[in-house]
Parts: sequence; C-alpha cells; structure tokens
Amino acid sequence: MREILIHSAQFFIYLFAQTLIIGQIELGWGIHPMIYPLFIIMLPFQLNVIPLMIIAFIMGISIDLFSNTFGLHASAALIIAYLRPEIFKIFSPRDGYDTFLIPSIRELGFTWFLLVGGTLTFIHHLWFFFLEIFRIDAWTLVLRNTLLSSLISLVLFILIQVIFFKRPKTS
Amino acid sequence: MRDLIAFFQRFRVFLVFLVLQIVALTSYFSVVTYPRTQFLNSANHVSGTLLNWEREITKYLYLDAENQRLQEEIVALREAMPESQISIDQKTRLINDTLFQQAYRYIPAVVINSTHTNSNNFFTIQGGRNRGIAPKMGVVSDQGVVGIVYDVSEHYAVVKSILTENINISAYIDGSHSHGIIKYTTLDPRRVSLTGISNDIAIKRGAPVLTRGSGGFFPKGIPIGQVDALEAIEGKPLWDIKVRLGTDMRRLHYVYVVENLLKDELHAIQQQLEEFEN
Repeated sequence: MREILIHSAQFFIYLFAQTLIIGQIELGWGIHPMIYPLFIIMLPFQLNVIPLMIIAFIMGISIDLFSNTFGLHASAALIIAYLRPEIFKIFSPRDGYDTFLIPSIRELGFTWFLLVGGTLTFIHHLWFFFLEIFRIDAWTLVLRNTLLSSLISLVLFILIQVIFFKRPKTS
Repeated sequence: MRDLIAFFQRFRVFLVFLVLQIVALTSYFSVVTYPRTQFLNSANHVSGTLLNWEREITKYLYLDAENQRLQEEIVALREAMPESQISIDQKTRLINDTLFQQAYRYIPAVVINSTHTNSNNFFTIQGGRNRGIAPKMGVVSDQGVVGIVYDVSEHYAVVKSILTENINISAYIDGSHSHGIIKYTTLDPRRVSLTGISNDIAIKRGAPVLTRGSGGFFPKGIPIGQVDALEAIEGKPLWDIKVRLGTDMRRLHYVYVVENLLKDELHAIQQQLEEFEN
C-alpha cells in the first residue's frame, strides 16, 4: 500500500517537473531533456509488463495534454515500457534480479544503471524524435537531437538519483 | 498445450502494446497530417489552469521588455491617428465615415504555453469561446503573423503556430506582387519557407513578405517577414525562398486574435466560384 502511495506521488512529481520546468527549458541545438522516462525505468521489478505499459501510457498522455504533442510522448513512453523487461534481461547480473526491488543506482550500481538507463533513454529519444521530425532526409537531425538529448537526460537521471534517492537502504 | 498458453501470454502483452500504440499514433498523426480530431491538447481545463499558474509566476521575468515593446506600439499608433497629423490640403481633410466599414476585429490574448523546437509547433493562449475566439481565426503579434487558431475551449485556445509544416498561409512579396504559400520546413524557428513562386520573377533579398488575405484569416498586407535567402529548386521552375520571420517565435507573450467580420460573405462568394468551375 505504502509503495503504491509513494509511486503515485512520484508520478505527479515527475509529471509536473517535466511539463512545468524541464519541458520549458530551452538549450538550443535540438536538445529536449526529458525526465519522465526515469519514472518508467524505476518502477519496481515485480510490476508486470502490462500494468507497466498502462502506467507509462497514462504518464505519456498526461504530458501530451500539457505540451500539445497529441500522443507523441505516450507512444515513446509505451515503447520503453514494452522493451524494459527485454533490456533488463540483456543486462541481467549473474544472480538475476530476485533480491532487488527498484531498478536504481543504489541497488544495482552505477555501471548497470548507465547501461540500462542509457539504452532505454536512447530508444525513447530516438523513437520520439523520429516521429516528431518524420522525414527521412532529416535523419542526421534526428540522430543529433537523439544523442545530445539522451546525454543531457541521462545526466539528469543520475543527478536526480544522487540527490533525491540517497536515503539509507531500508527493509 | 503449455507452449500454446505461453505463446498466448507473450502475444497478449504484444496485443496490449499494439492497441495502446495505435491509439497514441492515430491521435498524433491525425493532428499532424489532417487537422480535425481534437483531443490530448492543452485547451482543456486542468492543464490550462496549471499552465496559467506557471505564467502568473514567470511573467515578471519579461515584463520590462514587453512593456517597452507595447509602448513603442502605442507610439506608432498615436502617430498614425488623425489628431497627430497636420492636414496639408484643407479640402481633403473631410473624411466620410460611411465609406469605411469595420472588417476585422482584434482580440488581445496572452500566450501561456508554447513550443518552437518541434517540427510542428502549437501554443496555448488564455482566452477562448468566452471572448469570441473560434477555430480558424488568424493570430498576429505586434510584429506580424504568428499562427491560426486550431481548437478552443471555454477559457483557452490552442493555436497552430506559423512553425507548422502544413500551416499554408498565403503570402506575397511586396514589390513583385508574386504570391506563394508559407510552410515550415526549415526546422529553424527564425525562418519559414515560401513555396510556389516561379523562378522567372526577380526577387530582391530583404523584400518584405506580407499576407495575401485569401483565406480570410488575416487582412491583406500584414507583415510576415523578409526574404532572407533564395535558391532555385533543381529540376523545377520554382524559387526556394527562405523568409526571416518578423516575430521572434521563441519570445512570444502577447498576441492578437483576428476576427474577420466578413468571413461568411467571403466564403459564400468563393463557394459560388467553385460551383462555376464544376
């Protein structure tokens, strides 16, 4: 129960931080930093893929409501929710994930997060910018936006975890 | 049997994924390619209110610059008023007012949310049906055209920015009188493209680009920008013209919605024209 409350609160914090603060920042060079993918990445391991996709979809739609993107964020959020178990499987530690609760730096280490978070962020941003620009002749632009934005987003993900999730391990 | 169940389980996940993805993509592409379906935008009450709060907080950051701009605009308008001009010829001083009829009305509005980095950009303004704003009205700033109203709710409206691929505003170049259509293909928020002008027409750099007023969205002769660069398109007898926008779309705060009071009449007579052609 407590878990559900915490994650619901996180949902709204990520949503408002994304739409009212991060989404309004302009950095130029096509950089669109996004922080809500971290919310999807850091949902508990025990959550099945279908509820995960539904939560991600609701998150995406809520962001679309604020930023006039009409379903673009929903589509990109859905992609990483769908692929999350597969990516986790690829980068699985030797003993599996049985003893872990939350996919975070604190529980699984920096390298693991960099690999998994980096891959998922790249997929999310690539899909997002591909749909957003939607022109084959502008593929260099898609790639540039994806790489630069992924880099900034990933830095934000790490900062958020270092600053806000650094309480001592309970349970 | 177990394999079949396992297969179905796998398939079920993909099915849910597919359905949700189709919902999202249909919504997105129906807006981008065909401007009719209208949901998932910030003209709804909750996000409108929140974005309004955000503006209440951040508006003080650009108050000075905006005041200065408004003041300059007032000065320009004052100077254009009959009171501030001296008549050279006493006989032509008489103005018969019945010769003129108000054709366009301006509704002031404040931008509360905007984007400029996407390939299709929209912005939200405060003011909707309650102030007489309706879809397909033009939107201008004090420096020129900025977009066309796309969707309205009671208190908010979403405007399709001039930085949208299929914005299709009809425009002409002052001095050459050749006209074409404005599109946003440059992905640079300072420039738009003017398409459809034949390359046997001489065009000067820096020539002003103005609205033609053919759709009834804008009056004729509202500035859009200036010709910035021109190149011949290979294999077609057309110019590829880049227009530098008069308005900086990255700093858009105060706009005016243009209501065309004679729109019905214009549409009625243009419909007759279509019937003639058929």
